[in-house]
Amino acid sequence: MRNLAIFVLGAAALLALPHGLSFSQQEILVFLTLNILLVSSYRLLTLTGEWSLAHVVIMGVGAYASALYTKELGVWVPVSILLGGATAALLAVLLSFPLFRMKGFYFLIGSFAAGEIIRLLWKRFRDPFGGAKGIKGIDPMPDFSIGIYDFDFFEPVSYYYLSGAVVAVCLWILWRIERSPVGLTFHAVHWQDRLAEASGVNLRAYRTLAFSIASGFAGIAGALMAHYVGTINPNSFDVDLMVFVLTWAIVGGTATFYGPILGCVVLTVLNEIVLREMGFEQMRPLIYGLIMILSILFLPKGLESLVQKFAGKRPGKSDTPERSTAQ
Amino acid sequence: MFSRFGKPGLTRRTFLQSTAAVAAATSLPRIANAQDKVIKIGFLAPLTGAVAAWGKPGLDGCEIWAERVNAAGGIKLSDGDYMVEFVPYDNEYDPAKARTGATKLIREDGVSFIMMLGGDTWPGVQPVADRTGMLFSTLLPSDLGPDTTTLIAPAEVHPIYNVTAVEWMAENRPELKTAVMCAQDDALGLPSVATYLAAFEAAGIEMQGEPLLFDPATTDFAPVVTRLISSSPDIVCLDTCYSDYVHPICEQLFQQGYEGQIISCTADFYDQIIAKTSAEFMEGFLFQFPDFDDPALNSDQVNFADPNGFFAEYNKRYPGQWGAVSWEYASIMDLWKAAAEMAGSSEPDAVIAAMKEGGTGKHAFGDARWWGKELFGIENALVGDWPVVAIEGGKATIKEFRNIPAWYDKHGDLLVKHMKAYDQMWDQRG
Repeated sequence: MRNLAIFVLGAAALLALPHGLSFSQQEILVFLTLNILLVSSYRLLTLTGEWSLAHVVIMGVGAYASALYTKELGVWVPVSILLGGATAALLAVLLSFPLFRMKGFYFLIGSFAAGEIIRLLWKRFRDPFGGAKGIKGIDPMPDFSIGIYDFDFFEPVSYYYLSGAVVAVCLWILWRIERSPVGLTFHAVHWQDRLAEASGVNLRAYRTLAFSIASGFAGIAGALMAHYVGTINPNSFDVDLMVFVLTWAIVGGTATFYGPILGCVVLTVLNEIVLREMGFEQMRPLIYGLIMILSILFLPKGLESLVQKFAGKRPGKSDTPERSTAQ
Repeated sequence: MFSRFGKPGLTRRTFLQSTAAVAAATSLPRIANAQDKVIKIGFLAPLTGAVAAWGKPGLDGCEIWAERVNAAGGIKLSDGDYMVEFVPYDNEYDPAKARTGATKLIREDGVSFIMMLGGDTWPGVQPVADRTGMLFSTLLPSDLGPDTTTLIAPAEVHPIYNVTAVEWMAENRPELKTAVMCAQDDALGLPSVATYLAAFEAAGIEMQGEPLLFDPATTDFAPVVTRLISSSPDIVCLDTCYSDYVHPICEQLFQQGYEGQIISCTADFYDQIIAKTSAEFMEGFLFQFPDFDDPALNSDQVNFADPNGFFAEYNKRYPGQWGAVSWEYASIMDLWKAAAEMAGSSEPDAVIAAMKEGGTGKHAFGDARWWGKELFGIENALVGDWPVVAIEGGKATIKEFRNIPAWYDKHGDLLVKHMKAYDQMWDQRG
């Protein structure tokens, strides 16, 4: 009963949230929602101990795929978003063959190379990817009405509700996966790989599974973004954004499900709202970097450790015993 | 419900008036006195990141422009005099952030006009422009299209003006017969490649191979330059490379012993290039953006007010920061101010109508005409004369003003041919 009350209150707060924000903050809220899915899906991959530098490019694969399905094949936008996610997952399976011949640092570098190859292919082939200019005029989500509310997806509030619902479902699935035997096996692949292998666990298969699931959800985030902004280009998915994803994960912490989400929310609000409002428009990279360094120095276990400290709680049963090796 | 905004029953004008009223009611001007009436102008460009060199110097120039205009009494509209204030938003050259910035500037800050660099960021903003009817400007006319009538390119007709330096070079240095070209493979580089190809073809200069397109992430230009000059060309063309590329490419050309002609769209911070190479090496370097202390800019044909004084003030405040865009956004503001005063209003519809009245306008470098139906699908680019600039004795010097439409009238078919080959025509985008 208590959990239900918390859930209802939380949902009501999230529904009311955009109405307490300014127009530009509503726009930022949409992108924040999508980035939450991006960083949460990234955490699923890190459960197996592998940190990829291709996750943002994989997000782009979902974006490009969904945009092309609608533009070239006339697929209905909601369906194309799901197909975009499926395409990203499928590509991840293909990439896993060469990439999971490597581990750790080598996988990290290999994933970076794979991502750059994909980005170069987008640039190289103007047909169908639009080359360096990318794809413009991507079909928006079709508007509709439910009587009490008109969903006009040009408006950030409407798109926030749509993307929020999709992201909530995706997060629930990610949560259930992590809590399932498959999720526990992901942890085992990371922390007890030799023991797991001796117990008959196919390490490579589980790494591939985590990679493809994470990629699928990243692809959905990318597709949602493409149909909101209406344009994508190879630079939208470059290593700069990947650095942000890594930063959100590291500053938030990856020991808990909410850690990267916390990092994403706090750093995005700081960078896009607080520093801009304070008039530090052009000094944001400097201040952002400084805060990140201070956070890593003084909060080595991430922002999630603060939550645990104030809640007087240790990591839950599905949480990893220590922070990821990448930290 | 807010989602009904933009639906029938609420006109763009009503929408703009209401957002301006909300913004005016909730904010106070920062630089003007509280009792002054203020017109806010949005500055939506990259102020940080790799492309900041084409945003930040422009904002600095605009601040000087605003001080000058405010000191002279502001902008005179039918309902009184207004002080002008710029509201910047750093879009980091990202279309999503540009969309957020446009929303903020229009709906929260109540700006009357928004200046952009354009390029990759424009498609993110276009739906906002279409929905609100806000007047936008871009430095890159390749953003123009018939779908958005409120986007204008009144200062820079990039990359079409690049033809002027090639034409001048062919006439003044006829011994130069062969050329090579490199460019970053992006939305800025490709239309410029097509333009230079057309200009070289029109001038009878032979291209030694296809243009060398490099990835924008390139940092090591030694192999690029080695390959570029392997055929001993008379001319090396640097297209519209960002200054982050022009500098290392010039260094490499110097180190690898190149002694021929260099032509480029820009040479931002060329004093630094000279410091890294030599004045002799850079002698005769051709590009398109003058320093505004050039005596040629005091000619009667130039419409930019007090260019020498503007340049001196800019260098006093931001020494060593003068670049291609330092004056451009300010010159757009000259045009906007004149149109708003003529219309007596800052309403986008009224301003653009006044701006385009008679099909001509006062471009910074002389009277020009609204142009571009064939290339851009809409006559929203203000095109006229453009200077050809050469480095002489370590200093940028205007050699001559040349007329862009005159070149196009003779060789327009070549430009269209190469633009089509690179998918750069307005109907090939997307």
